[in-house]
Amino acid sequence: MIGINWKTISISGLVLAIMIFVPLFINLGTGIMNQLVTLLIYILLAQSWNLIGGYTGQINLGIAAFFGCSVMVTHFIWVTGIPIVICVLVGSLSAIILAALIGIPTLRLKGMYFAVGTLALAQALQVIMQNIFNRSITTRGDYVQSYNIDYRYYLGLVLVVIVLIAIYYIRRSKLGQALVAIRDEEQAAQVMGVNTFKYKVISLLISAFIAGLAGGLYAYFRLYFYYTGDIFGLNWTFSAVIAVIIGGGGTLLGPVLGSIFLVILGYIFSLTLGQANLIVFGFLFIIVMLFLPQGLMGGVDLIRPWLSRWGKRSANKI
Amino acid sequence: MSNILQVIIVGILVGGLYGLVGLGFGLIQGVMRFVNIAQGSFIILGGFICYWAVTLLHIDPYLSIPLVMLVMFIVGVITYQLLFSPLLKYPKAEMRLDKSLLLTFGAVWIIDNLETLFWTPNSRAVITSYGGKTVNIFGAAVSYTGLIGMGLAILTAAILHIILTRTYFGKHVRAATEDAGAASLSGVNVQLTYMISCGIAVALAGLAGVVVVTNYSITPGGGIAWLLTSMVVVTLAGTDNMNFMIPAGIILGVVQSVSTLLVNPAYQQPIALIIFLLIIMFRPQGLFSRGKRLA
Amino acid sequence: MLDISQLDVFYDDLQALWDISFKIDEGKIVTLIGSNGAGKSTIMKTITGQLKPKAGKITFNNRHIDNLPPYRIVESGICMVPEGRRLFAAMNVQENLEVGASTKTARKVKNSTIAWVYEIFPVLKERARQQAGTLSGGEQQMLAIGRALMSNPKMLLIDEMSLGLSPIIVQGISRIIKEINQSKKLTILLVEQDVQLALSLADEGYIIENGHIVGRGKSADLLCNKQVKEAYLGINALKKAK
Repeated sequence: MIGINWKTISISGLVLAIMIFVPLFINLGTGIMNQLVTLLIYILLAQSWNLIGGYTGQINLGIAAFFGCSVMVTHFIWVTGIPIVICVLVGSLSAIILAALIGIPTLRLKGMYFAVGTLALAQALQVIMQNIFNRSITTRGDYVQSYNIDYRYYLGLVLVVIVLIAIYYIRRSKLGQALVAIRDEEQAAQVMGVNTFKYKVISLLISAFIAGLAGGLYAYFRLYFYYTGDIFGLNWTFSAVIAVIIGGGGTLLGPVLGSIFLVILGYIFSLTLGQANLIVFGFLFIIVMLFLPQGLMGGVDLIRPWLSRWGKRSANKI
Repeated sequence: MSNILQVIIVGILVGGLYGLVGLGFGLIQGVMRFVNIAQGSFIILGGFICYWAVTLLHIDPYLSIPLVMLVMFIVGVITYQLLFSPLLKYPKAEMRLDKSLLLTFGAVWIIDNLETLFWTPNSRAVITSYGGKTVNIFGAAVSYTGLIGMGLAILTAAILHIILTRTYFGKHVRAATEDAGAASLSGVNVQLTYMISCGIAVALAGLAGVVVVTNYSITPGGGIAWLLTSMVVVTLAGTDNMNFMIPAGIILGVVQSVSTLLVNPAYQQPIALIIFLLIIMFRPQGLFSRGKRLA
Repeated sequence: MLDISQLDVFYDDLQALWDISFKIDEGKIVTLIGSNGAGKSTIMKTITGQLKPKAGKITFNNRHIDNLPPYRIVESGICMVPEGRRLFAAMNVQENLEVGASTKTARKVKNSTIAWVYEIFPVLKERARQQAGTLSGGEQQMLAIGRALMSNPKMLLIDEMSLGLSPIIVQGISRIIKEINQSKKLTILLVEQDVQLALSLADEGYIIENGHIVGRGKSADLLCNKQVKEAYLGINALKKAK
């Protein structure tokens, strides 16, 4: 068995403990709790995009379709009274079905067709849903009455932890190695007998499931929607992409870092810049892509030698 | 009967515009192998420039075309320098594709939101004194603006063809498309060629924007819809082939238009996208493809 | 005319050329010989601007060219006939030649240059409107040379001309190359697998081995050189086999 990195586990354990126990004992207020739940949704969405985009190298511009599909399915099953956890799972499964229908044929093609096909799917879905549900979608009165933000937070936390652990193991598995091979040198992988198509499909389906989890959580979180089209909106895709790019694609923690960055910066910007905050994100996105292609995680790698040198110097002084 | 004819003629006119939109996108993708997701946003931007020229300078929208195309050409050159030329260091076509996809995706975000910030999210359209008037062709009512749009599209395609086949620049473009390295070795300044091609492609988007704003309307977020349209057209025509853009556009236009007889017109766009998905699934090389020829 | 001095060339971190120095005088035909991977193509790529040297310099008619991009080097008067021809297959013969005259100076005299090219390669004139991709191997090689000549070069680089061509065609083309060299005083640098051919065409040669120059001399001397004979002409091997 590969050696257990005690340092990583203890740090993760500490962070997890903080995230579990602090909200239990300190009333952080609905504002911060809302931001935290939003953060968890973004982390899930970013991990989803990272799996198919960062690890497998297939750029999915229609992740909003999987997200939105799950939101709708989760919502409509939930209002019938079925427990939320089952609804989220069913919603996520529906995302997988959607991915299977559209994603698989487009994955077969080279070049930009997967990216554009998924973009087309998300757009089409947005238009169709906007027409079918041209009024807002409401929910049950008793759900509004019994709303407790903490439930959303802890469900989200559980989902994020499960997804992170799952991706951690995928990374080290044969599947993970195949995905990275496909990203870096697909032809070579094919020549070596790797069934690249099969692995791309698996990656897409898992990615869709995770996006579905995000969608289900969102449905649980928001309860009702004014503009149905917004659920399938391009900004969800953009948020996922920018979180991964800024955080660092192809890493486990990159999407997490990127999402934290996105939420914190978004909060600051919305206070100061208003509408312009989206524009700043656009610029940030392009600048990071051009000058820091490995994102923040790459930045950490750059700083690491300095950190260890500094650590050694301090140790010597003692 | 005249209803069907009306629908078909409308489809043909729209198709001309679709072809024009495809030319711009195809020029960048065919020549440089970059994907410009922002092409649709450039169309909207061109429409906005036209709109403001008309509103502030009180000129006929079609007279604003030189201004629109000049400004958009400059935008195209800037886009090339900032977003595309840094990608030239990657020899692998896939990397260029993926990175250009993402970079231009970010550009969409910036452009669309800047437009919303400056000019509100409201739709704009250019109304002319002759805008509502129609002319009678075989019993169908055809709008003047629609005809002008079609005329512009065909004229543009013709001019582009002449440029590509008869001028030095055009030959440089075709050479660089086939083998950029060999073109370099033959004395072609490939980077300059790319830069000008990008400028032209975005100028074409601007021209399409003028047609869009006079025939329909523009909204800051509407770029993606036009981008997807251009991709459908480019896919139908077979990438790398400028000659078949207008015909491909017309086919798309007619199919979409005829479909409105059967389905709710609001679903026109999803139908176009379904056509797109079907084409890329079953005939990804396009309807007209006969191998790599730019012109 | 061309002065290469102490060139060190790398592919990323891998060194391919060490301390390469040689001169080519005007009007001469010079050849680089050596086994595959020895570094001949790397030298060609560096001269034409596709690679930048990490150390050393290249001057052409006393002008530094080692930091120029490929199209500028063509403007300076050096043009290469690439290995594998690399024609523009979708364009016809005439168009390929026209692209060859892309630089401003070449464009001015395009018409007279094209007339001259059609004179030395009459078969190209016959096929002027034919797509380059449909030409035979020999015709393609002639077109590639013609295209390079369209840039009005003072020095021509020819990379592996004989690849894939039958001996008769190669002979014919070699004759034409010799003629051009003599009539127009066109300096030529030849990289050629076929050592016999290379040394018969060239006035002098350099032997490249593992990124170093390991021998130099007049062609006649090299042909008699024992090392060359054994390594590249396989002569001793035959003797030993007997």
